[in-house]
Amino acid sequence: MAALDPGKLDARERNALETLLKRLADDEFVLAERYTEWQVRAPTLESDLALANNAQDELGHARLWYDVLEDLGFEEQALIYERDPADFRHATLVERPFEEGDWADAVLRSYLYDAAEKLRLEALEDSAYPKIADRVGKIRSEEEYHLEHAQNWVERLADGDEGHERLQDALDRLFPYALTLFEPVDPDVEDDIVELGLRDATLEELGEEWLSIVVPSLESLDLEPPVSAQVDDDTFEITEDMLPEERGRDGGHTDAWFDLHDELTHTYRDLGRSETTKIMDKPE
Amino acid sequence: MIWEVFRQEKAGNYHTHCGNVHAPDREMATQFAAIQHGRRKPTNSLWVVPKEEIGEIDTEDVAFGGTTDKSYRWATAYNTSGKDAREVVESEDEQATAERQRGDD
Repeated sequence: MAALDPGKLDARERNALETLLKRLADDEFVLAERYTEWQVRAPTLESDLALANNAQDELGHARLWYDVLEDLGFEEQALIYERDPADFRHATLVERPFEEGDWADAVLRSYLYDAAEKLRLEALEDSAYPKIADRVGKIRSEEEYHLEHAQNWVERLADGDEGHERLQDALDRLFPYALTLFEPVDPDVEDDIVELGLRDATLEELGEEWLSIVVPSLESLDLEPPVSAQVDDDTFEITEDMLPEERGRDGGHTDAWFDLHDELTHTYRDLGRSETTKIMDKPE
Repeated sequence: MIWEVFRQEKAGNYHTHCGNVHAPDREMATQFAAIQHGRRKPTNSLWVVPKEEIGEIDTEDVAFGGTTDKSYRWATAYNTSGKDAREVVESEDEQATAERQRGDD
């Protein structure tokens, strides 16, 4: 597929690119915001540092994606601090508040998310938008650590009675929201994303592949997803009845997001800012 | 469980002790060590070692190097001609440095 020239994008290409990048950036940004709530509250110093490190990574990735959006004329403050919270396109999985003090929630959420992130990044490696393809490599190497970290914790928690119970509770709560990772912002635009070669797998393909990895892996630890997505031995499918009401991608969010957004933009508004503080020039 | 962590800055260098991490097993210990000890300083490799597996012997247990004069052990105790092989000269220098560090002078 021919590479898209950033300087010569037509309306359809711009729209597809904007949609794809907002999905990517908003997921990483909001997940990082939630992760930071664990800072100084995680069960051990080591787990605290590991999750804080992952949050830092996700913020860095969000910044890389928001920076690509600037190619389309967006500015950072408009994307983050001045955007209507209902225009954020992240999946509702990443905005849900943690059950208080429930480390299993953080660990399982990370596992569900990072498993999807891996597939999504693989599908972006040969993106027709060169800047996307360039940035995927460095993001992937950090994401590998996140997935290993989450997998390790899930396996260890599943090994004990209380840990297993907490994981199952978290799975019951989070699984439907995790499915929204594969929901469309707008079905026509999602088709364009694939047709233009921005990403080489459809949302359906990504969702089915994710299920075929995550479900057997959880079942091997005696963890049962609250809804069965299995059609037969090795076929999985996301159907309408499995999804929660709020899907994020379409702008429908849970109340928790509006509270979080209010909190994270509070200082910006309070200080009457009109631009963001930049520590580094362009993100690398 | 405590794991002592050793960091190697560049391939070929020694791994030197740099701190420890709490972790239930080796796999988690390596993951935590990567974040805690490999993130800010240049790192080529890390070792994690269970603290309880480390054997220790200290000055309370033994007089290191013995208690009598054994300066004959040191190449610096011998006269050299000044025309010796480079290796001998280097070895002398190394031992002179080691002696100073031992506080034997």
